[in-house]
Amino acid sequence: MKYAFFPGCTIAYWLPFIEKSIRLVSAELGIELIDLPFNCCPEPNTVRSFSSESWLVLAARNLALAEENGLDILTGCTGCLESLALAKHEIESKPENMEKVNQALESIGMSYSGKKSIIHMHQLLYDIIGIDKIGEHVKRSLKIRVVTHSGCHLLRPYNILQADDPEAPIKLDKLVEILGIEPLDYMDKTMCCGTGTRRANREASFAILREKMASMTMVEPDAAVVFCPSCFTSFESGQKIVNRMFGTNYRLPVYYYTELLALAMELSEMDTVLSGHRVKGPLSAISPENRNLNQTVQS
Amino acid sequence: MDLNLELARIIEEARPCFQCGICSSSCPVYRVTPELNPRLAIDNLIQKNTIEPSGREWACALCLMCEQRCPTGVSLAHILITMKNISAQRGGAPSSVIEAIHSLLSLGVIAQSSGLEKKRSKYNLPQLQLPDHDQIKKLLELTGAIDILESHLKMEEIE
Ligand code: SF4
Ligand code: SF4
Repeated sequence: MKYAFFPGCTIAYWLPFIEKSIRLVSAELGIELIDLPFNCCPEPNTVRSFSSESWLVLAARNLALAEENGLDILTGCTGCLESLALAKHEIESKPENMEKVNQALESIGMSYSGKKSIIHMHQLLYDIIGIDKIGEHVKRSLKIRVVTHSGCHLLRPYNILQADDPEAPIKLDKLVEILGIEPLDYMDKTMCCGTGTRRANREASFAILREKMASMTMVEPDAAVVFCPSCFTSFESGQKIVNRMFGTNYRLPVYYYTELLALAMELSEMDTVLSGHRVKGPLSAISPENRNLNQTVQS
Repeated sequence: MDLNLELARIIEEARPCFQCGICSSSCPVYRVTPELNPRLAIDNLIQKNTIEPSGREWACALCLMCEQRCPTGVSLAHILITMKNISAQRGGAPSSVIEAIHSLLSLGVIAQSSGLEKKRSKYNLPQLQLPDHDQIKKLLELTGAIDILESHLKMEEIE
């Protein structure tokens, strides 16, 4: 399998260790990732709010670039997924939009006809590769208890994305279970992490995060698991700001799903990946190189 | 974008609303502040036939819970996005949004990070392929984004 890889700005610029874990896991599963000069997806909360027309045409440039290369897009960011999938829907369901974006693309020597699709890592792993196949690659049971947060932009709008149940998502729980992890049920599982309103109302955005953290920590998990880089940053870095603003004392480690998968697969370079985290988690890396070392130390 | 046409369109879209309030009770922003109340936003739109330049719609996190649960299928997300589009055309976008658009215009991306290549090479990642700035600028120009940015500069001068 081969995809045009769309890391998204948040991962590529701010969370490169997440990108690393996606690349490690993809290689292990035989997925080839092709890098292309994509622009910002564009980020829906800012660009689409500012101008729907600019949003649509800039998204069309990304879709056209993938189409030019004969590839479907694979992304690790739920915001990019929603933006591109929604734009694709807007363009392909309305002939006037198809005409409009092609007029604009013509000015930069590109065109779009709508043949290629866009999926998220979540969909690749659960819907295309499947739990059983992933299980065959698991070498180590991770044995922690977690709360999962799939992310608003993966779940809604459901009629277009169809990634998981928008009110009661279960697939990410299944994906952690196959790694030996226990997913815990918790209140407000589908509630937003607060990122979406951060630019417009900082205080409200952290108050939303406070509410979400309260629900998550109520069931005493070892960590939170996400599939979106913005949610990752919101939880991992945001909890410190919540603590400062509201006098709470949260210290919840956060993992992006492919990091856990890479740990369970015992892939190399995971030490470096985990060193990118600000809140140190309960898991450390075991890879073919340090496995022997560990055994020597223990014996 | 024709403002009057868009306004008429979202008022029509809001029409089935019977003010049950499920949207507001599902809204994470309304849960922590009265600043954004989707039910009232819809009511105002229908009652007043216009959009008040309150700027409140910008607080919407676009989580789509309201739309997911609305029993009459009102497309709240589209309505709120259009309200923001109209507000932006009137020079009402928050400064942080304007900054993001400026960055998109000059770099082709919103995120910026100093020492990017060093950060990425720590993880042995391939060099990031960047889009052609001129192409992005051209597309933003063609779709009116530059004009909207300028209207914000004018608003700043007035203030
Ligand atoms: S959920 Fe729908 S019908 Fe109920 S108040 Fe909100 S917009 Fe109106
Ligand atoms: S999309 Fe906006 S208005 Fe609707 S529930 Fe989410 S934050 Fe509230």
